[in-house]
Amino acid sequence: MEKKGGLLEWLDKRLAVNALWRIMMSEYYLPKNINFLWSFGVLTMLVFAILVISGIFLLMYYKPDAKLAFDSVNKTIMMDVAFGWVFRHTHAVAASIMFLVLYIHMARGLYYGSYKAPREVVWITGFLLFVLMSATAFTGYLLPWGQMSYWAAQTITTLFEKIPFIGPDLVIWIRGNYIVADATLTRFFALHVVFLPLLLIFVTAVHLYAVRIVGSNNEDGIPMTKEEKKVKGIPFWPVFMAKEYFVMSVFLLFFFYLVFFNYNFAMDPINFQPADYLQTPMHIYPEWYFLAYYEVLRGFFFSQNLGLIAFVASMFIILFMPWLDRSPIVSGKHRPLYKIAFWIFIFDFIFLTILGKLPPTGLYAWLGLAGSIVFFLFFAALPIISKIEKSQVEKAGR
Amino acid sequence: MKELKILAVIVVLVLIGYWGIEPLAHSIMHKHIEEAIKKYNLPDFKFSDLDPIPSGLQGNPQAGKEAVKTFCISCHSVKKEGINAPMPPQAAAQSFGVVPPDLSNIGGILDEKYLFNFLKNPQKATENPKFAMPALGLSDQQAIDIVAYLKSIAKKNMSGKEVVEEGCVRCHSIKYQKIQALSPPDTMKKYLGKVPPDLSVIYKAKGEEYLHAFINKPQAILPGTGMPRVGLDKEAQEKAIAYLEEIADPHKEQRTKVGIIVLAYLLVMVGLTYAWKRKIWKNLH
Amino acid sequence: MADDKMSRRDFLLYAMGGWAAIGAAGVLYAMYKTWEPLPEVKAQATTKFDLSKVKPGQLKVVSWRGKPVFVLHKTPDMKKCEDRTVAGEYTVVLGICTHLGCIPNWEADKKIWHCPCHGGEYDACGRNIFGPPPRPLDIPPFKLEGKTIIIGEEGPEYKKLMEKA
Ligand code: HEM
Ligand code: FES
Repeated sequence: MEKKGGLLEWLDKRLAVNALWRIMMSEYYLPKNINFLWSFGVLTMLVFAILVISGIFLLMYYKPDAKLAFDSVNKTIMMDVAFGWVFRHTHAVAASIMFLVLYIHMARGLYYGSYKAPREVVWITGFLLFVLMSATAFTGYLLPWGQMSYWAAQTITTLFEKIPFIGPDLVIWIRGNYIVADATLTRFFALHVVFLPLLLIFVTAVHLYAVRIVGSNNEDGIPMTKEEKKVKGIPFWPVFMAKEYFVMSVFLLFFFYLVFFNYNFAMDPINFQPADYLQTPMHIYPEWYFLAYYEVLRGFFFSQNLGLIAFVASMFIILFMPWLDRSPIVSGKHRPLYKIAFWIFIFDFIFLTILGKLPPTGLYAWLGLAGSIVFFLFFAALPIISKIEKSQVEKAGR
Repeated sequence: MKELKILAVIVVLVLIGYWGIEPLAHSIMHKHIEEAIKKYNLPDFKFSDLDPIPSGLQGNPQAGKEAVKTFCISCHSVKKEGINAPMPPQAAAQSFGVVPPDLSNIGGILDEKYLFNFLKNPQKATENPKFAMPALGLSDQQAIDIVAYLKSIAKKNMSGKEVVEEGCVRCHSIKYQKIQALSPPDTMKKYLGKVPPDLSVIYKAKGEEYLHAFINKPQAILPGTGMPRVGLDKEAQEKAIAYLEEIADPHKEQRTKVGIIVLAYLLVMVGLTYAWKRKIWKNLH
Repeated sequence: MADDKMSRRDFLLYAMGGWAAIGAAGVLYAMYKTWEPLPEVKAQATTKFDLSKVKPGQLKVVSWRGKPVFVLHKTPDMKKCEDRTVAGEYTVVLGICTHLGCIPNWEADKKIWHCPCHGGEYDACGRNIFGPPPRPLDIPPFKLEGKTIIIGEEGPEYKKLMEKA
């Protein structure tokens, strides 16, 4: 990197690439006591790259027109284009796995307290990325114009109808029609392939930059001093990346196993029937990564409005983690009470995800209600846990 | 060690979630299908609900030929025997809702017992009260003669594609194979209440188990459906479904092959990167 | 790392890099393949045409792979050329100017093709007789089946013409 003369020096004089390289890579020190969960940030970037590349090749044959979309995907891309099916499977599986990776990435942050000061901006931009990714997945899901695509878009856009005063008009505006139709497809297409990815890239840059500034958290939640970094830390490049390659390879092995041999979870059978605005399929449900929120929506089955409020709250409440949890101890590793709450929350999330796909009747409806309440109880318990821990710390400190 | 523990936790949680949203959800949402399959033991190629062919009854193809001329050709063609349809397809579709099939090869795909019952009472055999063909009041002997005749003229060893063309294309299109349903969509909608779905990728939408059960006994799987029981025999139905799979998933073989190569490639990559990581990290501690 | 033997570290690095390059090549190959013409396009690779549909003195334009093919039924008053005549009395040429790819127009009165772009001219055999075109109009590969011409397949008649030329 530091070679004298040549292109690099020329660039360095003009763009300070050496300084950039040092800040971002070779002199970005990570603590040694971080496990492979810290690799999931880079994994999200890997999956994002896979999405972009496979997406570009789908784009070359996809037709964003209600009359052509289904066949352009299921005939042209899946049958006629050489290796077209690889790119479609890869894109669909990557979109799904993106959320698995994101959820693990977020759970890592939750467990080790990575959202706490001074990492609020990392957390907020991360949350933004989650929202943007969700929007990207949602708009993309409409594009194949199958029955599941269509009815997912139809029902989710209908949710906006419940907004007081402007709701009904807003829905029509979003759809560009009284129902989800060609206009909706084309605008979702534009959002999915241009607008949202651009925003994602931009916010990712801020997210990464913020991590570089405040430094990575670690298992114990105790930051290294500047001196410690040089002695005890490991530089991101090339040392940490060496581990990253290994994690990536293992991940890709798993990923491509899914792409070639177990892709059904990402490509719903119902979506192989073309969209029909006159017939709703017997069962409709969102993709698995939205099921938990969907279940919160249905969980308060006795009141539609309460369900809707809970639904919105469930998606946004995690943004407020840094302010709900005021405990002086950072890492969950050293917080027995928080640890219990964390695991209850994780199991509750999985529980809600599973319930979200089942019909909301009888026992399932009540279980959904219970699961939804537990979901919010976790956040409600945080200030209390913080208080208890604060007094414990103070006692121990004296 | 610690990292393996974390990995184990993740794997277990992911598997619980996967089990919930795939097998569990599937078993609950498709309960009525599983139940129907169990209840009727589908696919039931014995057509247990239909009357058995009376024992000792022997079909005579020659007599069957005469019976066909008397009873059938006022609606059906038998092109193989030089008998053309009495009216053009459009007109037939207008009056019956569906184009009556040519009888040349139909004996090659239908079960004998089913066909016998069908000739005697089409609505009962198809389990479709709206079925266009009327009962003709045939005697057992006439019915079995016709069965024998149709079997004798039918092509042997038909391919999956031929079975589908004989059995399904009267009503269903297969757009991606450039196969157009013989009956026009609008008359079919009047007749069945719905335009029958295109079969191009139906295999992916429905899956093998469902198709086997549904084609064999539509009313058991989807009560009230407009689709009649067609009465394919075991061999014909298996070929038909194999064909539907082949056209819906033409790259299956390539997918397996490429998949194995990619996974083998990545396994080596895992080994190499692991060795590299060990090498770099060895001197750290 | 200046050992005479390559160190294990270097070897690993090269192995890893090389292996990654193989993977990248595989991905690039798949990408390359996706750009090939689709089966339905390849199915249009040949065009069948009945020559007897063209009356003497008449010109018909046939589309082959999206390109115009001129089929001219020659009359005795037109330029003669053994080595460029198909089925005894037809000129069959790709209607694309050999200069820069415009489509020349048939001028029936002068019995020549005139290219609108830079004024190139071709006689009734498709030979360049004026202007910038560097060579005669190309003859597409063809095969004869009686009076039917299959454009896009190399038949014996085509090969014979090419030998003469
Ligand atoms: C497209 C989405 C995302 C990308 C590309 C991304 C990328 C990254 C990368 C590369 C890192 C540094 C490596 C690491 O510590 O794992 C990181 C750290 C972090 N990310 Fe994300 N991230 C995304 C979404 C999120 C989301 C949704 C959240 C939470 C709401 C989040 C919260 C964090 C936090 C708190 C850290 C610091 C972790 C620590 O130092 O302990 N990120 N992210
Ligand atoms: S292109 Fe025809 S003369 Fe230039």
